Amino acid sequence: MSKTLQQKNTRSLLKWLPLVMLVGSVGFYILLRSHIYHLQEQQLELKQENTWNTLKSAPGGIALHIKCEYDIEKGSPVPRGLVGRQRDTSIYYPSAGDWDTYAILTEQYKLGDTPYQITTYFSSKEITHLLIKLSVAEAAIFLLLLGAIVIINRRTSRNLWTPFYDTMEAVRNFDIRKNRPLVLSEQTGVDEFDRLNLTLSSLIDHVNQAYHNQKQFTENASHELQTPLAIIRSKVELLMDSPSLTEEVAGQLGDINDANERLSQMNKNLFLLTKIDNNQFPELHMIPVSDLLERSIAQYREYFEDELPVIKLCIEAPLQLQANSSLIDILINNLLRNAIIHNVEGGYIHILLTDKELSMENSGPVLEGDPERLFERFRKGREESRTTGLGLALVKQICHLYQFDVQYLHQEGIHRIKVVFA
Amino acid sequence: MKLLVVEDEPSLLDSIIQFFKREHFLCEGAVTYSEAIRKMEDFQYDCIILDINLPEGSGLQLLKYLRNDEKRDGVIIISARDSLDDRIAGLDLGADDYLTKPFHLSELNARVKALIRRKYSDGARVVTIGNLKIDMTARTITAAGQPVPLTRIEYDLLVFLTSNKNRVVSRQAIAEHIYDGPSEQAPGPEFVYSHIKNLKRKLKERGCQEIIHSVYGLGYKLVI
Repeated sequence: MSKTLQQKNTRSLLKWLPLVMLVGSVGFYILLRSHIYHLQEQQLELKQENTWNTLKSAPGGIALHIKCEYDIEKGSPVPRGLVGRQRDTSIYYPSAGDWDTYAILTEQYKLGDTPYQITTYFSSKEITHLLIKLSVAEAAIFLLLLGAIVIINRRTSRNLWTPFYDTMEAVRNFDIRKNRPLVLSEQTGVDEFDRLNLTLSSLIDHVNQAYHNQKQFTENASHELQTPLAIIRSKVELLMDSPSLTEEVAGQLGDINDANERLSQMNKNLFLLTKIDNNQFPELHMIPVSDLLERSIAQYREYFEDELPVIKLCIEAPLQLQANSSLIDILINNLLRNAIIHNVEGGYIHILLTDKELSMENSGPVLEGDPERLFERFRKGREESRTTGLGLALVKQICHLYQFDVQYLHQEGIHRIKVVFA
Repeated sequence: MKLLVVEDEPSLLDSIIQFFKREHFLCEGAVTYSEAIRKMEDFQYDCIILDINLPEGSGLQLLKYLRNDEKRDGVIIISARDSLDDRIAGLDLGADDYLTKPFHLSELNARVKALIRRKYSDGARVVTIGNLKIDMTARTITAAGQPVPLTRIEYDLLVFLTSNKNRVVSRQAIAEHIYDGPSEQAPGPEFVYSHIKNLKRKLKERGCQEIIHSVYGLGYKLVI
């Protein structure tokens, strides 16, 4: 799964920074330890020197033992191996009831012929405390640093990527059908984003231009087709009326006429699609959908009388829609006509209108192929010669315009189209 | 009746003129703006059929010119443009009717006849065919004095066929004429047959002669 840039950034920081800090802490601790050892050594040696000097100058006038300061002993009671090396020891303080830790150093001397061993003491308790405190402080500072780095990094990257997210949002909201230019800032303060926006803007301009040209072409084409269609139609009508018309010629003329009529119907529907595409139905009204349905059904009953399938209309809620009345009229009529044309002998149409959706169920021949593809332009069912293949494309286009959801379900000869008014 | 057809497409102009000549109109054609102006100045027409898109200027300008000149000739606009705005602009300028291309000649004929009836007949507008009387104002039919109850569709059908009497009218032309909505939504011509059948039956029951004939499956013809 993909992560956001920020998540990735934070993740890698959190992975590597603690490691670096841990290594740093260990290094710091080791360094501190070695410095402290060195300090203790110097202190112990200094004491040795002082004690020895005092002993030398007045061998009888110096106390041989001062607890936790020094011990002066004749001979060599301390084993040779321990001489000259710093060691640790603990001494019991009865007054405090506690053991204290000391660093000690034993050196050998000779005063005349008498060998002496002097052991000096240096309290390492405070030093150990200091070491712990420093380490804790260091850990705290590192944690603070870690937090600060992560927060600053997140904040900076958020600010840094803002123009990118703005661009992404603008591109996401871009709808080519609206044919509006994509306005992107070309002064984001980041050179890469400026260039990205510039590139995107010019790309979208080209796309818009191409789309506009294509739409213009469809519009012009369907416009220009009207006149030749009108000419063919008028000539066919004149020929139909010719006194010398024979049955054979009449048959051929009928075919020409049917083809021409279908062509002009297709042309009208294509033109209508282009007009919807171009948003040429801007007027909005409150439309009582149930009234429109009833009117449409009544109209079909009037035209087709008893040749219609049985139509049952069930209105659960008298839905009102804010839309263009011509378009909703076209929507309902096309749905209804689709259900009538693609029906079977003695079939039925059930229409249900609720406050959210309109569903139309009808009997019909078993469908082959993907029902969703029926909404494509020039996609046809079986009754090819009677339809233009644009009816459901119109339905889809209108639904798209008003952001209605339209679904086609088919099951063993039962067809259901559902329009959900969002 | 005198008719002027202003249309820049010669073969369409030719069709329209040929059609109306058979209807015994005195027909003249104009292919350009200036030719149309000249003819309008020189003659009085009962009806002018006007194309909006002309090479030298708009048919709407012609209409404006005509109305400014206080000429009351009936005008029917024929246009390839089918937007409500164009329609309203045309009617506002004083056109009597508006027809979108491609149209059926039989439809244009019916519109011209209706326009002439509205403009020039005063009082009751009654058409008589044999023993049938059609009262266009009251939208009623009587056969030998007896009223014939017709549905809206049957009545429109009869009037349409009467306007185009003795001519073959295609099923599509009838379907489009009868359908009273936008033409892209007209149901196919299949429904015409049953209404014709009913109309013929009703007329026969009232003792009318068989006046409506089917012509090789192309369409129908009202013969007098």
